[in-house]
Amino acid sequence: MPHAELPPVVIAEGVGYATRYFLREVGSVFWLIVNTFEETFERIQHGRVPFRAASFFRHTERAGVDSVPLVGLVSFFLGLTMALLTGYQLQRFGTERLIPGLVAIAFTRELGPLLTGIMLAARIGAAFTAELGTMQVSEEVEAIEAMGIGPLRFLVAPRMLALVLLMPCLSTVSNIAAIFASSLVCKAYFSIAFPYFLDLVKDSLLIRDIITGVLKSLLFGLLIAAIACYRGLTVKGGAAGVGTSTTSSVVTAITAVIGFDTLYNVVYTTFYPT
Amino acid sequence: MVELRDVHMRFEEKKVLDGVSLKIEPRERLVVLGQSGSGKSTILRLILGTLRPDSGSIFFKQFEITRLSRRKLQRVRQHVGMVFQYSALLSSRNVRDNVALPLEELTDKSRSEIDKIVDEKLELVGMGDSKELLPEELSGGMRKRVALARALVLNPELLLLDEPSAGLDPVIASVIDELIISLSEKSKVTSITATHEMDSAFRIATRMAMLYQGTIIEEAKPEEFKHSKNPVVAQFVSGSTEGPILEGSLDAITKK
Repeated sequence: MPHAELPPVVIAEGVGYATRYFLREVGSVFWLIVNTFEETFERIQHGRVPFRAASFFRHTERAGVDSVPLVGLVSFFLGLTMALLTGYQLQRFGTERLIPGLVAIAFTRELGPLLTGIMLAARIGAAFTAELGTMQVSEEVEAIEAMGIGPLRFLVAPRMLALVLLMPCLSTVSNIAAIFASSLVCKAYFSIAFPYFLDLVKDSLLIRDIITGVLKSLLFGLLIAAIACYRGLTVKGGAAGVGTSTTSSVVTAITAVIGFDTLYNVVYTTFYPT
Repeated sequence: MVELRDVHMRFEEKKVLDGVSLKIEPRERLVVLGQSGSGKSTILRLILGTLRPDSGSIFFKQFEITRLSRRKLQRVRQHVGMVFQYSALLSSRNVRDNVALPLEELTDKSRSEIDKIVDEKLELVGMGDSKELLPEELSGGMRKRVALARALVLNPELLLLDEPSAGLDPVIASVIDELIISLSEKSKVTSITATHEMDSAFRIATRMAMLYQGTIIEEAKPEEFKHSKNPVVAQFVSGSTEGPILEGSLDAITKK
């Protein structure tokens, strides 16, 4: 049976509903970030530490140290593949000495923060959402609130800070792994010695590329942590709700990272076209 | 000490509280009775400020809870202890750390002072030997006692208890009730208990209030409550299937 065409008013209603939902979610994540900062700084103003150092280091260890093998390995393989594929194309024009610069710029400015963001959104974002979601359904978050302790400062701030500070470090690990992998390909297939490879990387890489990469990583870290914590703290519907929110958190965080990366690049190339 | 004035609250389409007014005097042990889902826990959460009413006012001492800023509300909550129905202990922290949490986060006390207070409160609830255990290693009654110790650790003026003896065997339920009575007498705290367990309610209460269809239909001392002429209260106290509470729904049950 052929589908009856939807009347325009129904389509408009659907678009309106989706837009309202999207804006409400964006607004909620924004206010979560603002309120977390507010609660944290209020505490600092009173001359007290906002959260326990042990809690912060537990999250940095999990988000950072434990993610090094995954980030390093994936970036190594991608650097290897990228150098190989671009190398054979460039070799046809006798320009294979461009490989080091190409891989270095691509990873430092773009792929390092992006890949790390996607991997952390899946690995750590999911863990944050599941952890906070479980606390939410078992009334632990409400109990913290009932004691007069700010749950955002106590639960969200250490996670957020850990991810924001760890993202640039992990991006650097990603960049180094990819550049190292491409140096191996350059040596093995294109006869570019390691010292020459390093000279080519240094010649092509600008401070601006490094700053761009670091800024992106910081932004991605903040986004992933905020989305993951927001999804965790708004879980409803018991264990099934935790599962749904965790999936939603990963999907939203990855989409947000890619979306913000695109937005950043558009803005960046508008102001710095070269 | 606590006053609710014409409080209305609905969750989506369901009207939970429909003009509740209630006054609790200092050092009273008020028990709020009502069927499951009647809104007893909602009243406790409204007093605590974790829920906001649709209309009406709630006062705790001179503070109007419904109008306080987040920061002031956090300060007021430090004078209120809450024991949740399922205890709500932080699962990643052991008993000692659960009880110590409010002291670590909200006071400037040293580690040794905190340890001393935690030991004292855990001894009070008979959990002095279980400091290193995690919540998952505790029974329901033990969890309730730890939750009670945590609620008392800042020496609150008001204690809110949500179904303190639900799901416990009669002996442990009596132990918890006796504990609540002795704590409120020793520490001179005012308490509000939400429950539907009649034995527990009559043991704890100095005054009782019955919540039915969103309003308080009767407030009285336990003895008067026991002999209430109100058919809803009488049915609830006796636990009978005959009466206005199950009107309509009983027919549906028996027809199945």
